[in-house]
Amino acid sequence: MITAWINSHLLSFIVFAPLVWGLALLVLPERQAPLAKLLGLLGATGVLAVAAVQLLHFNSDPLGQLCAERFPWFTAVGIPVDYHLAVDGLNLWLVLLTTFLVPLTLLGTWNSIGKRAGTAVALFLMLETGMLGALVAQDLLVFYLFWEAMLLPMYFLIGVWGGDERKYAATKFVLFTLAGSLLWLVALLFLAGKAGSFAPEVMAQAVLALPAGTQATLFLAFALAFAIKVPLFPLHTWLPDAHTQAPTGGSVLLAGVLLKLGSYGFLRFAYPMFPQAAARYALLLAVLATVAIVYGALVAMVQTDIKKLVAYSSVSHMGFIMLGIASMTLIGTQGAMLQMLNHGISTGALFLLVGMLYDRAHTRRIADFGGVALKMPVFTAFFLVVTLSSIGLPLTNGFTGEFLILNGTYNSAYAWGRPLACVATLGVLLSAVYMLWMVQRVFWGPANPREDSGTAHLHADLNAREIAVLVPIVVLIFWMGVHPQTFLGHSEGQVGQLLARSAQTTAQANKVTP
Amino acid sequence: MNLSPSMLSALMPLLIPALGACLLPIAALDSDQATVKWIRASMFFIALLALAGGFLYLTRLWASGAQPEFGALHMDRLAQFGGIFVLVAAALAVLQLWDHLHQEGWVKGETLSLLLFSVVGMMLFSATGNLLLLFLGLELLSLPLYALTATVRTREKALEGGMKYFLTGAVASAVFLMGSVLLYGVTGSLDIAVIGQRLAQAGPVDPVALVGAAMLLAGFLFKMSVVPFHQWTPDVYEAAPHPISGFMSVATKGVAVLALLRVLAVGLPAVGGQLREAVAVLAVLSLVLGNLAALAQSSIKRMLAYSSISHAGYLLLGFVAATPAAYAGILFYLLAYLAMNMGAFGILSAFGLVGEEVTFEQLKGRGWQRPGLAIAVALCMFSLAGLPPMAGFYGKYMIFKELIMQGHIALAIVGVLASLVSVYYYLRVPVALFIEQPTAAAQREAAERPALLAPLAGASVLICGFLVLALGLIPGTVLDSFARRAAQAILVQVP
Repeated sequence: MITAWINSHLLSFIVFAPLVWGLALLVLPERQAPLAKLLGLLGATGVLAVAAVQLLHFNSDPLGQLCAERFPWFTAVGIPVDYHLAVDGLNLWLVLLTTFLVPLTLLGTWNSIGKRAGTAVALFLMLETGMLGALVAQDLLVFYLFWEAMLLPMYFLIGVWGGDERKYAATKFVLFTLAGSLLWLVALLFLAGKAGSFAPEVMAQAVLALPAGTQATLFLAFALAFAIKVPLFPLHTWLPDAHTQAPTGGSVLLAGVLLKLGSYGFLRFAYPMFPQAAARYALLLAVLATVAIVYGALVAMVQTDIKKLVAYSSVSHMGFIMLGIASMTLIGTQGAMLQMLNHGISTGALFLLVGMLYDRAHTRRIADFGGVALKMPVFTAFFLVVTLSSIGLPLTNGFTGEFLILNGTYNSAYAWGRPLACVATLGVLLSAVYMLWMVQRVFWGPANPREDSGTAHLHADLNAREIAVLVPIVVLIFWMGVHPQTFLGHSEGQVGQLLARSAQTTAQANKVTP
Repeated sequence: MNLSPSMLSALMPLLIPALGACLLPIAALDSDQATVKWIRASMFFIALLALAGGFLYLTRLWASGAQPEFGALHMDRLAQFGGIFVLVAAALAVLQLWDHLHQEGWVKGETLSLLLFSVVGMMLFSATGNLLLLFLGLELLSLPLYALTATVRTREKALEGGMKYFLTGAVASAVFLMGSVLLYGVTGSLDIAVIGQRLAQAGPVDPVALVGAAMLLAGFLFKMSVVPFHQWTPDVYEAAPHPISGFMSVATKGVAVLALLRVLAVGLPAVGGQLREAVAVLAVLSLVLGNLAALAQSSIKRMLAYSSISHAGYLLLGFVAATPAAYAGILFYLLAYLAMNMGAFGILSAFGLVGEEVTFEQLKGRGWQRPGLAIAVALCMFSLAGLPPMAGFYGKYMIFKELIMQGHIALAIVGVLASLVSVYYYLRVPVALFIEQPTAAAQREAAERPALLAPLAGASVLICGFLVLALGLIPGTVLDSFARRAAQAILVQVP
């Protein structure tokens, strides 16, 4: 009976099980923290297992929803709100990525949470509910609610378990995100008033009837909220602060999933709903994305803190994703889809690795290291693999994604495609420079001779727990590099349909108003 | 005149708390005896019993669907809504007062009696369209509050605050009365329905009637603490005992909103329409000034006072939208505001913070000592900031949606930007509770003088946190079954 219920409410179960489990863990007293961590890990692994087993066997119809739940929730003074969740080609792998990263995060930061670990584990699980809910929500108000629901757990994770500047970073994170999402809410309500519904397909119809100027304003309001989350240059300034101050686990999920929700929002809502305005502002987004690629890489190069370097590399990588989406080509968009997963895995892994180093050395300054390879050979091997994947070495996941994005941009119908693709390629080069230079200074060469250096504090190489966290990541890195079709196959149909529909709408609109 | 059962049932909701108010001074004839434990307990028991009696009577009335009348006293659904709203706020305040007065060392018999008299005035104020009865209600609700502000006379600022409130309040009452006189002079009636009819028959709005209506509006806005009638708010909230500040911020504002709805928005639609632009300007001013001033406060009560000014701005935005859905949204907003603001003020009593000045410093690091309370008050703060899925989000959502649908997009943008600013200062409470470490001085003081347990105030905060979450998770049910029906009670009267 329970399995029948779970099957009919599968998505609700996957989304809300972490929340319920997390709330239950809050009951455990402080001294039971190890038990809370264990139970939290088991819960998160259970959710991963259910999601992987149940979602992967629905793959009959490439265009439709693999699995859905829908019923009317409430009528908010006139406009009905549907509790509508669905998994389809666009979000299937992102859902799996999220359920995959949460247990890894919990296991990877087992000993580094420190004080009040039980509460932190509960917050990670609540955050998982917010992320999964936002990924599977098909009704825009429900999406908005989950989108905002992600804020508070992350706020507390940064604020309570973060570094010295945590109060500032946490508040900045919340205010930046809300600045975008509140204006977006106004646009959303305006559109819901016109459409009489929060369903994106109904709203998209209503958009067609609006004047071009209004469409553009609405698109910009949507784009602002998503661009802050991505974050797109010049709205990225909250990200380095949040990343450097957040605890390791917070950084992993922030980079791994939260940022993806911005680009996912573009792909799921902003582009399909406003095809004309999206085409109109494609150049703007593409230029900002390219600036983010190059600027993020240049700033990453001069960082003295490894974590901050990885944070800025995120700005650069997310720029690639946005460029792929802006290209409006099948290849570019598919590349962006893949790159979302890549970035989630590679950057998430980098943050985990930096966290492991920090736990031992209690410093993240590049200058404090040197010769780490001598002390921690296994760690160095893992770090190198992830670094190469982040740079985009062929046979690793990063290569496939960036190649598809650059290919799609170069061949796009827009005149700016070729020049911007050339500039963006520079970003690939720069990523090799900043990552390898950092690896060289941290890992190679003789051990740092200073007595209080970070290297001097490294006594133990990775333990079995840490290796258990990293092995699945490395497997995925190569799997995605060698056989990306596993991950691209699900979204191809839907992305193609999306692009065809927006091309059609734009063409029609151009015919009406030449 | 014979008293029919229907008339009596219109009067009963007011009579029950009034009876309690009259009994209470007898229970504590010699006010020094109020410190004796069983006398103190029986006083609070009588007060809660009177409030619960009124509440039960009103809920039964609501369930039966009856809307009895007694002369100009209309115990319709809107009035029943107002009564339930005020009684719940008062009951939460009584729970908090139990601990707070004890902490202050000022347990006196008159406090609860005054509170109950004020409750009766509020119920009258929200249940009538007769200008004279409105004035009676206004005075009956205000006079006890003036006294309550100054009730803890040992406090330095108590008398000053009470006096300020009394003087400004007296002017507001006089302005309200003058407005009634002008309307009476133009139309020859005190009943708002008749006034509305006669004004509509007379064609274009008489300027004298417009001035009269504007003066009534000023009276309501004073009680709502809308800019520029807000000046008393921070000083009075600071001077009054914490639960009384909470009660004033919620119940006074609430019934002023209900009266504004009944008298101006629905009763005099033509005049209300002419005043709408002025209302929009005042709403924006309240949002801007309230939020910006709240940013700069170090005292929590002053921060909450400015926040209450900004919430008056959001409520007024609903009057600018002026649709039935917006009115239902306003009523929902009031329910959310009841829970979140009583929780916000309640935490001060629950943590045993005494004196008029309570700073953020004093909250530092306390969240981990009392996690349940701290989580509840954090929920209230997020709700005040309008973050989903808390109740406050839906209140704003409904008002903004109607504003946008009526084409007031600029006002909606001002509204969301104002709530963005507000996030910063509301977050200061959870930041202090969970993130910041207590200062060395505070730790020493806490070790010397351990905070008294405040079980009832704590319970009231937990109730508020629960309500904030529950209203946010089932907004549709509450809106449909309660807020919208209450708004419909008066909306059907207008063509």
